[in-house]
Amino acid sequence: MLASLEPLINGILLGGLYAVIGIGLSMIFGIMRQVNLAHGELMILSSYFSLIFLQLLGLHPLLTFLFVLPAIFILGYLIQIFLFNRVLEKGMEPYLMISFGLSIILQNAMLLIFTPDARTLKTSLVIKSLNVFDLFHVPVIYLVDFATGFLVFGILQLIMKKTYLGWAIRASSDNLTAAKLMGINSKRVYALAMGIAVITAAISGVLVGMTFTFYPHSGTQYLIIAFGVVIIGGLGSLPGTFLGGLILGISQLVGGRILGPGFQLLSGYIILLIVLTIRPQGILGRK
Amino acid sequence: MTMLEVKNLDVYYGGFQALTDISLSVERDQIVSILGSNGAGKSTLLETISGLLKPGSGCIHFNGGKIDHLGPHEIVQLGLALVPEGRKIFSSLTVLENLLIGSYIPVARRTKDEQLQNVYELFPRLQERRDQLGSTLSGGEQQMLAIGRALMSQPRLIIFDEISLGLSPIMVKHLYQTVNRIKQKGMVVVLVEQDVKRSLKTADFAYILQEGKIRLKGNPKDFTEDEVKKAYFGL
Repeated sequence: MLASLEPLINGILLGGLYAVIGIGLSMIFGIMRQVNLAHGELMILSSYFSLIFLQLLGLHPLLTFLFVLPAIFILGYLIQIFLFNRVLEKGMEPYLMISFGLSIILQNAMLLIFTPDARTLKTSLVIKSLNVFDLFHVPVIYLVDFATGFLVFGILQLIMKKTYLGWAIRASSDNLTAAKLMGINSKRVYALAMGIAVITAAISGVLVGMTFTFYPHSGTQYLIIAFGVVIIGGLGSLPGTFLGGLILGISQLVGGRILGPGFQLLSGYIILLIVLTIRPQGILGRK
Repeated sequence: MTMLEVKNLDVYYGGFQALTDISLSVERDQIVSILGSNGAGKSTLLETISGLLKPGSGCIHFNGGKIDHLGPHEIVQLGLALVPEGRKIFSSLTVLENLLIGSYIPVARRTKDEQLQNVYELFPRLQERRDQLGSTLSGGEQQMLAIGRALMSQPRLIIFDEISLGLSPIMVKHLYQTVNRIKQKGMVVVLVEQDVKRSLKTADFAYILQEGKIRLKGNPKDFTEDEVKKAYFGL
């Protein structure tokens, strides 16, 4: 009986990764009321960046964070300043179009540069798995995913609650006009928020590269996961997004165990539909 | 010394001229009132002074420096704070966080603890409720919070936009007593109101706006009731 806890435990752990995948999308929607359709591509771009450093310098994938995170932060900051800031306060359509165009450009650039071959960030962590009381197996990489996810959310919560940047981001989201009257430069705050969101995408990208194989077109499936996480957990809520990730992870793995591995994705989407029907703003979402 | 000077301001709001040839000045040690009914152009004037709107023509000087080309986040750094109409507090931030974000600009961050104590002294209710979310406060408490938040930026001149709106007479009386205390602390006060009687009682100098133009100006103690009515209603 305890063995049947395996998909539940693994679902929770994988959910930690899903939560990090979703938080970037959630932040940008919560703060700027925009949906970044290039979110998945920025993740996979990070996976490829990590691959480069892994092959060039022989670094362990987790150590590539040192290079990948600053690089992606700068990229995100520049994208916000030069692309998205031009359509600030002009509604959702221009932003959607720009981010969609960006996702196509990035996908095809990665296809050109890296070829359509399947890639993975090889590490012994993926092969090792923990044997828990001889009852069930927990892949070690899942533990790393969850621990990282927990850490990311902890740091984000600290930033949002205890720093001037965090208050500025939350204030801009509540009332942009009043925020400007406080001395907050909205263009800069948006660029910093985008930088943070993109860093979380990069972290999830590297973890995804370690946990699964990836292709230039993998961004789309993770964008969909991000949407799932955010819709279930609720827009504009940090704890909500974490919860959303856990629920999606559990739904997928438990559903996959009960109905069969082919039903993994479907199980997740069924839960998504149920949440959308009963509580459209998400479990911890603001109305 | 003139703290704020507006000269020949024309402001357009979506194709229509909201303000025509507005000129006014605010001296140090003054409480200046700007009055007018709904739609007279008060909010447009304040939005332009605070940098949220750009004038079509004319200029605005604060403390001797030109500010009409600056953004709102730059103007507050120079020492001009606005307590906006409708309070506009941050509903998902706590009372304390609302006050702390008021000290966002570099010069205010250094003295934030001292300023916080000053605000709590003026508004003890805010200290009681410091961990509550902004959205849970009553109208009067939100107004106190909006004022406290503006004070945190260490302003030299503070503009109050319709602070009496929707509040009980007792609350309004308390707020105006606070406005006087703020003036005594050395800040220059501009009051924008629909409540004519009370703001004329408090002000040293007053302007009455109607349909985007100044109809009457001077020391309110010299105004006759007829003059005020004519200017206010445009009769």
